[in-house]
Amino acid sequence: MEHARVLRGAAGVAGFLAAAEIVGATGLIDDRFLPRMSTILRGAAELLVDQEFLADARASLAAWGLGLLLTVAVAVPAGLALGALPPVERAVRPLIEFLRPIPSVAIVPLAILLFSDNLHLRVAVVVYAASWPIVINTIYALRDVDPLAKETLRSFGFGPVSVLLRVALPSAAPFIATGIRVAAGTAIILVISAELLAGGAEGVGIYITEAASGNRMDLMLGAALWAGLFGVLSNTALVAVERRLFRWHDVRTGAAR
Amino acid sequence: MRLIRRTLAVGAVAVLALTACGNSDTTSSSSSGNGLEKTTLKVGTIPVPDSAPLQVAIDRGFFKAEGLEVQPEVVAGGAVATQKLLGGSLDLSLGAYVGTFLAQDKGVGKFKYVADSYGAAPGAFVIMVKKDSPIKTVADLKGKTIAVNVLNSVSQLTAEVQMKVAGVTATPSQFVEKKFPDMPPALESGQVDAAAMTEPVITVESKAGGRIIVDEMTGPTENLPIAGWFTTDAIASKYPKAIAAFQRALGKAQALVAKDRKIVEETLPKYTKIDAATAAVISLGSYPTSLSETRLQRVADLMKEYGYLKNDLDVKSMILPPPAS
Repeated sequence: MEHARVLRGAAGVAGFLAAAEIVGATGLIDDRFLPRMSTILRGAAELLVDQEFLADARASLAAWGLGLLLTVAVAVPAGLALGALPPVERAVRPLIEFLRPIPSVAIVPLAILLFSDNLHLRVAVVVYAASWPIVINTIYALRDVDPLAKETLRSFGFGPVSVLLRVALPSAAPFIATGIRVAAGTAIILVISAELLAGGAEGVGIYITEAASGNRMDLMLGAALWAGLFGVLSNTALVAVERRLFRWHDVRTGAAR
Repeated sequence: MRLIRRTLAVGAVAVLALTACGNSDTTSSSSSGNGLEKTTLKVGTIPVPDSAPLQVAIDRGFFKAEGLEVQPEVVAGGAVATQKLLGGSLDLSLGAYVGTFLAQDKGVGKFKYVADSYGAAPGAFVIMVKKDSPIKTVADLKGKTIAVNVLNSVSQLTAEVQMKVAGVTATPSQFVEKKFPDMPPALESGQVDAAAMTEPVITVESKAGGRIIVDEMTGPTENLPIAGWFTTDAIASKYPKAIAAFQRALGKAQALVAKDRKIVEETLPKYTKIDAATAAVISLGSYPTSLSETRLQRVADLMKEYGYLKNDLDVKSMILPPPAS
């Protein structure tokens, strides 16, 4: 099962790369403007020994990690509070629905004025953009908590906070985890977008800006490729964590993954 | 309710903690003997030849000799630099005169140039078309779509000037914004008819057979000042000694670079992805060694003439002359 899945995924990637290379080789796309896939892959591989890129990648990943941690620290409690207190949720909902569709990169100019430190700036836009999937998932997950379990605890004299922590939170956890996984992907997009728009001393986005200055499309796309790979790796890691932690949930819902 | 309050409190504490640790390292300085109000300057640069003197001054230790540590930071463009100066994340930045004059005119802030950096020279700013384009002369550009890297920038202003010289009038709607690396593909696909380019893209497009229609910096725009190092009035009056030290150090580098193109060629690969071979062949602008009010006034006058500025700009108030050495 597992091996077949990995194999199919690898075949899909290889097929895409081969198709891209063939399109390049046939001259359908001018390779002055979009380098051949093989050139981009070589560029991406060279970046692994490019000290400057490695420092930039470390800086972006640090901003991403810190941003995601802070997002979880803010969004999970916020989601729990809203999910547990329906009147508050109803009051806040219009505001959430107004803020959520605003393209997150549109707040970067505002963040430039508000934050004098580049790390803070990136972390702030990550928290803003990546909080939504976690908050929303948490609110909905709390609605689906088994009422019988909650009543049982209540009838044993547990207070609302105990019920929330002992029943609602564990039951909602798998959904919150999915929210975090979605947020992790959003966070990478935001870190690099903020670097491209706001600039800074270090970051993958800064590297791309510098590569653009020399018209090095291969390096720009090589760096973009790594950004994509970071997304794949974080997703894979988080899926693995979810499976370990919430085995019981898969069993209960019969999810075959 | 209690939970919300606690959450907010935790969030606020986290944010405060972050801000606190950030501030401590940016303002850690002051007492280093030579009386500078600030010894670490964050300076915005753009990875283009215009910034070369800053990199030279860093490499040769000119800032260190003044007791300054300059931390260069890439900014995506002049508009971002302006925001970052106003927001306090930069102390100084490279900025094109046209963009900064526009911002001053619109009341975005009050700015001061502390050093000139880059001026026009033959071949460094040109309008190009693709190999088989029907456009042959500047007059042919009438009504054609022209790509500029930033709207209402010096590229657009000088394109308008050249068209007027050729007897045709440019309209604002014929200019579209394209980043330099996107210009050759946009020409090729016909998205734009012409593009106002700088190096290294000029060299790239020339190799593909692209033709230069006009040098943007001829006639009324010859030797036009392009970009300098600027800051806000507030920063300039808060750190006068640090700024003076910056001016002295940068002045030394500027003098070296002005005399010897080789230095620029060696420096470009250090802060851009322009390699040494390309650096050796591209057309560079000039590196003026003095911040001249008369020269900058030319830019403001052109901007007024072409409707870029609403008011008469007092260029003198935007210049902080370097200390007499």
